[in-house]
Parts: sequence; C-alpha cells; structure tokens
Amino acid sequence: MTSAEPVYDVVWPLAPSAAPPGSLAARSQDLRGKTVGELWDYLFKGEEIFPLIRTALEARYPGIRFVEFETFGSTHGRDEKELAATLPGLLRQHGCDAVISAVGA
Amino acid sequence: MLRAAAIAERAGVPSVSIVTTPFMQQAAVVSKGVGLPSLPIAEYPGVPMTDGSDAVARKIDALLPQIVAGLAGARDVARTAVAEPGPRDIVARGTLDEVQELYHENLWSDGLPVIPPTIDRVERFLAQTRRAPDEVIGRLLPENRAATVWSIAVNGVMAGCRPEYMPVLVAIVEAIAEPIFRVEDAGSTPGWEPLVIVSGPIARRLDLNHGQGVMRVGRQANTSLGRFLRLYLRNVAGLRIPPGAGDKGSIAGSFNVALAEDEDASAALGWPTFGADQGFTRDDSVVTVQSVVSISPPIYSAGTRALEHARILAEVFGGACSYWSAIGMKYARWEPLLVLGPSIARVIADDGWSKEDLRRYLHEHVTITARQAETYALQVGATSFTLDAHVKAGVLPASYATSSDPERTVPVFVQPEKIGILVAGDPGRNQSKGYVNNHIQGGRVSKRV
Repeated sequence: MTSAEPVYDVVWPLAPSAAPPGSLAARSQDLRGKTVGELWDYLFKGEEIFPLIRTALEARYPGIRFVEFETFGSTHGRDEKELAATLPGLLRQHGCDAVISAVGA
Repeated sequence: MLRAAAIAERAGVPSVSIVTTPFMQQAAVVSKGVGLPSLPIAEYPGVPMTDGSDAVARKIDALLPQIVAGLAGARDVARTAVAEPGPRDIVARGTLDEVQELYHENLWSDGLPVIPPTIDRVERFLAQTRRAPDEVIGRLLPENRAATVWSIAVNGVMAGCRPEYMPVLVAIVEAIAEPIFRVEDAGSTPGWEPLVIVSGPIARRLDLNHGQGVMRVGRQANTSLGRFLRLYLRNVAGLRIPPGAGDKGSIAGSFNVALAEDEDASAALGWPTFGADQGFTRDDSVVTVQSVVSISPPIYSAGTRALEHARILAEVFGGACSYWSAIGMKYARWEPLLVLGPSIARVIADDGWSKEDLRRYLHEHVTITARQAETYALQVGATSFTLDAHVKAGVLPASYATSSDPERTVPVFVQPEKIGILVAGDPGRNQSKGYVNNHIQGGRVSKRV
C-alpha cells in the first residue's frame, strides 16, 4: 500500500507594487542655448567626468550652459533626502532645462 | 543617483543618468521601482575606479551620443501592464519537490528549501497579530513593493519561523521600512547584511539563544528570524543576486542569525541592557535592526582590570573598524556593535567602568591617520573626499582637521555614543566580537514589538 504524497496550494511571496505611475518629461530636440544641471553622488570620479562632458557639449551646442554639481550637493548619502525634497525648486531656481545624473557604479 | 533623475523628470526636467555596465541590471530594477522604467541611461563601459584618466576621457567621449539622445530624444516606451497575483491567489499546486522547484525557478527562495506557504499556514501567522493582512507597513525600495502584513506572514512561513514569531517579524519590517535604515541601499556593493537584535521579555519567550554559539545557525528562533529578513529583502525589496538583479553585493555574505542579549548578566553588572540603550525599558520587547558589513576576529582578552581588556578591544575591534571608518567619516554616521563576552563585561564593570566609559576609551584610543582615512575612502569610490572639506562643511567635528599633517591621527569612531555594546556569548570563555556596520546604510533602528 502506498500513501499519496501531499500536495500544497501555495501563494505568491511577493507583494503589490507601490511604484508610482509616471512618464518622462518632454524633451527639446536641440540642446543649443539650454541650461543643464549636474547631479552627482560624489562618487566614482564625477569630478573628472563632468568637466569632460561640459567641454564636449559646449563645443557642439553653442550657448549651452551648466549648473555645476557643487550647486546641488550630493545626491547620495547623508543629505540625499533633503536634496530630494528641494531638488525641483533648485532646478527651477537655476533655470535647468535638463540634468545629467552620475555616477551609477 | 537614478532616484534624483526621477525627481527631475517628475518636475518636468529631462534627465540622463550615467551608469556603468555592471550596474545596468540594477538600474533597470531601480528605474522600474521609481515608476519610470524608461529613464534614459548612458552606459559607461567598465569600472571607473580602475580606469586611468585617458580611459575615462575616451569613454566619456564615446558616451556623448547616448547623453545627447537621453536629453534631447528619449521617449517613454509603452508599458504593458503585467497582472500580478493577489495575496490569496493560489499560484501553484504541487508536491513539496514541485513547490521547491517553482520557487527556485522564480527566484522566490534563498536557495534553501522553503516551507510551502499555504493559506492555512499563513493564517496561523496572521492570527498572532492584530494588524490587518492588507495593512502596508512601508514601501521597500529598490523594487518598491508594499510591505503588507500578509507578505510578512508568507515569508515568515517560508523561512521556517513559528507563528508566534509574527509580532517580531512585523517589528523587523517596521524597522527596515524606516527611511533612516535606507533599505534602498541594502543591495550596495559592500554587501552588507542586516542584523536583528531582539531585546526584552520576548527574547526569552521565543527561546532565543544569547549564550554560547549565539551567532551560529542552530536555534530555531535566532536562525529563522535571520533567514526571514534575507528572504523578505529578496522577495519584497527586490534584492536578488544573479540570475536576479537588484543586489549588487560584490562578494557579500550570508544572513546573520538574530542576536539576543544576556540581559540577566547585563543587569547583574548594573549596566543598562542594549534595549534600554535604545530608549526602552527592560520590560519592553524590542527589535533592533542594523547593518553588518564585516565581523572582527574573535577577541580574546585576559586580566582582572578593565584597562587590560579595553586595550585589546581597542586594538582588535578598533582594527576591524579602521579601514571602513573612512566611509563612516564621509557620511559622519556609523554604528559599530561590540558584543562583549559576559566574563569580560564582568571584569570591566567590577572595575567601576560603565558602558559610557568603555565607549569613551574606544573613541579616544582607536585612531587612524588622516592619510589612511582619505586613501581608504578613495579606494571605495569617494574620489573627492577630504577630511578638511568635511570639517569646513560642518559634517565632521573640528578634531578631524586639527592640522594639515597627513600623518595626524583622527578618531575611528565619529560619534562614541553610536558604538553599540551588548553582553552575549559564552559565559565560560573570555571572548568578545565586533560587528562593523555600513555607515548610514542600515542605520540602527529599534521598534517595540
């Protein structure tokens, strides 16, 4: 006589997504004359990377201007939450048309 | 970094984020979690920290088209809504082996066999709490899922917990959901692991080990509580190592079993318990969670005077903390934990030292040079970190910039009051052990059960 192996009806171990719906901001098709903010996490050579990007984009797009990363402070770590709260206002205050955020590593 | 980009996008400002190739999968998890899966990314090939200046310049030049495309051309990709199961939906019916295979294939397990989470078993856990199953304790990044009481029960079942652990499981999740814990960074490259510390009467009620072998797998409560948290981070925060994504711990480590204090020993010394140090009474049942990124060697200390033990503790515990203290200095917060063997605590207390005295001694006597601190921070990636700049910015106290001499010494422990001290381990041996936490990532959070 053999006994049937038990079977189990099991549930999902994850939980509902809480990701807020959203969409990307509208883009201008031309960076000439635009103001670009630099958002840096103060890690992984951003102090080398941003000046390289600045120089290259200035050569390609006349009138482009940069709000350098020191203006915003670090996007990672100690003051991250405070910056997150104030960032939209800072971007408005400095007239940023776009931002470059770095460095994810 | 991507979270800042998402804030800009939601404020109507287009963004592009520079992400290195090895982090692209994690970036996808984060982008989805912030609700903007199409966040434009410019992919930096390789590892900047091992690239020389020429290589960085060459790679950035090659990256420009992606940067421009992100800022000036990117568009949202249409998203296909994927229906996910509801809490009571049966996702499969199968034998024990079939259930294990299903959970492994879907990355829902931690590699060990799980107890099949049937509705009946989950309800036995829910019966141990007054919280509603659909109550949301918090949102857990990076995957950004709602930490429901139901999901806590499901993962508690899977981890091999007993139903009566449920109030502790809820308190654990309450702790990690606090912003100061920064669960979003629990998948960072240092590979830190949370440590659960259970204080007060519930530790005894649940039969947590606080004595010999306290941090070894083997006692059901200690082990399954620790396993639960790792499983919960995988399933609800979305922190999975390959073939999953989201957890970028470079080498990382396995889960810590839950730690409990020998509170009777602590009380006999006239010392406050660890729970009391967190602002609770000895009658409060409390769960504390903090990160652990590395562990000291076993610290043997001998002698009949407090100073004899303090010297060895400073050398070995302090030595274990020294390398990582640079990152603690960068963020001006970290909370290492010293687990003192009962016999050692007895000598120290009998010599008239309080926990505060020991903390003060460690603060004053464990130092590294400023050159070491800045060099160590640089290796991790803090390429612009200097102690002087942090003092000028008011992040660190003036004692970190008393001169410009790179060989000047600075305290390893930024805030002595943040050194946790807890009495546990083998009362029959003279051994302690130190737990180094990951600075502001996994900050110490306590919750009443």
